[in-house]
Amino acid sequence: MAAASRDRFIVRAEINAGGETVISYGFDLTASSVFVVTEWHAPIGTPVSLRLSFPRILEPIDVPARIGDIRVAGEPGEPAGIRLVFDRAGGEVGEDLVSLLDRANAPTGEPGEEDRPYRVLLVDDSWLIRDMFAYGTAKFFERPGALAIDHAEDAAQAWGKLAKSTYDLVIIDYYLPTEDGASLIARLRGDPRLAPTPIVAISVGGRDARDATISAGADVFVDKPLVLRDLFNTLRVLAERRERVRPAPDRKAILVFDDSPFALALTRAALESAGFTVAIAADLSSFERQRVAFDPDLILVDVQMPEAFGDDVASTLRGWHGVQVPILLVSSLDQSELARRAETAQASGYICKGAGMSELVRRCRELLEVAP
Amino acid sequence: MEDLYAKFLPQFVSLARTRLATAIAAATQRDHAAAAAIMRELHTLAGEAGLLGLVEVVPLARDGELKAKQLHLTGTEADAEALLAALRELETTIERIGTARSS
Repeated sequence: MAAASRDRFIVRAEINAGGETVISYGFDLTASSVFVVTEWHAPIGTPVSLRLSFPRILEPIDVPARIGDIRVAGEPGEPAGIRLVFDRAGGEVGEDLVSLLDRANAPTGEPGEEDRPYRVLLVDDSWLIRDMFAYGTAKFFERPGALAIDHAEDAAQAWGKLAKSTYDLVIIDYYLPTEDGASLIARLRGDPRLAPTPIVAISVGGRDARDATISAGADVFVDKPLVLRDLFNTLRVLAERRERVRPAPDRKAILVFDDSPFALALTRAALESAGFTVAIAADLSSFERQRVAFDPDLILVDVQMPEAFGDDVASTLRGWHGVQVPILLVSSLDQSELARRAETAQASGYICKGAGMSELVRRCRELLEVAP
Repeated sequence: MEDLYAKFLPQFVSLARTRLATAIAAATQRDHAAAAAIMRELHTLAGEAGLLGLVEVVPLARDGELKAKQLHLTGTEADAEALLAALRELETTIERIGTARSS
């Protein structure tokens, strides 16, 4: 199968401008800009904070940007939206992002990978949509066997299939008979085995459907009418990539939870170069999914984050979830306060960020009894 | 570890410049409502600098964080001036680091 094109890869896009947050999806990604499908717009030149992500492919990455162009209405296949141009400060991030998706396009070369289809469950009561998927599979996949699409007409049927099989991705329509898509998504996210599954929500329901499905835990929301080309290109990238969630057994696994994308990238690079397998999370829902799927040997948690204090997270992990693996608080708080918080939360210890990355790596090795 | 610093330092400087420009603009315009956001940004900046071993940046960022917290509580002109001075000192330090890197 030819490598899929990154510029038609759909990513989750969260725009923050003047305190208002808009969650949608973007594509046509280059090192300098991305097109975001949304009815929201502001004057050209308006600065925004942009967060792009896609589960298992792209951890949340923040890019300062400005509105470069507005497309109010388009031809079929060209949805309305805004082109966001990355600020100069975000240029390097943009290049990193493109490079990340380029790597995502590259086959991993794992034995037997090419023979295993990428399994998708499509939950939609519309025969038309299901026919469109059948058409898309034939049209956009040079080797249609690389993608296996299973169908469910409603939430009950979907739940039955999810209980018996494992899917790499679930696509859920919001408007379903009896139980809506948001409710099904919430059930998926509440189930420990199914919670890490990437979910794409689709609907003609506009903002209400988007808000409901994103709140329930969908990773990406795509408006109907679907831009089939983009959705299938996304599926092709996913089918070509086989990122293993479980680390190799001889490498210790560390999960890092911090709201700063920069701190996450730096910490991951340092720990990976020290021989650890690393997963990162920038928010609570991502953290919980990674914790269940990744089964880490050590958890590093920042303390002061917008959604929660790290010591509360550690305390909940110990008391509520019964987590036994070492948990370290990592913060730039004063040492005495950090020590007090770590003790109260029953964390295994703490690391002052001011001590630097070498000390952080040393403490991880010490706790996991790994020789340098 | 040196490779790591070489790779991430330019990103840090770039991000810090953006953060400080936004914070200084808000402080100059006496946008006291932005004090809480500035506080969070400076806390994050302190943590990132700490991980990179930039020991001269950490205390300045923490000091700015405390001054933003004070301004958030009082909203006084004196506290706004104090925050602005702290931000400018931090900006000078970041510029020095950026210049040293590029020279």
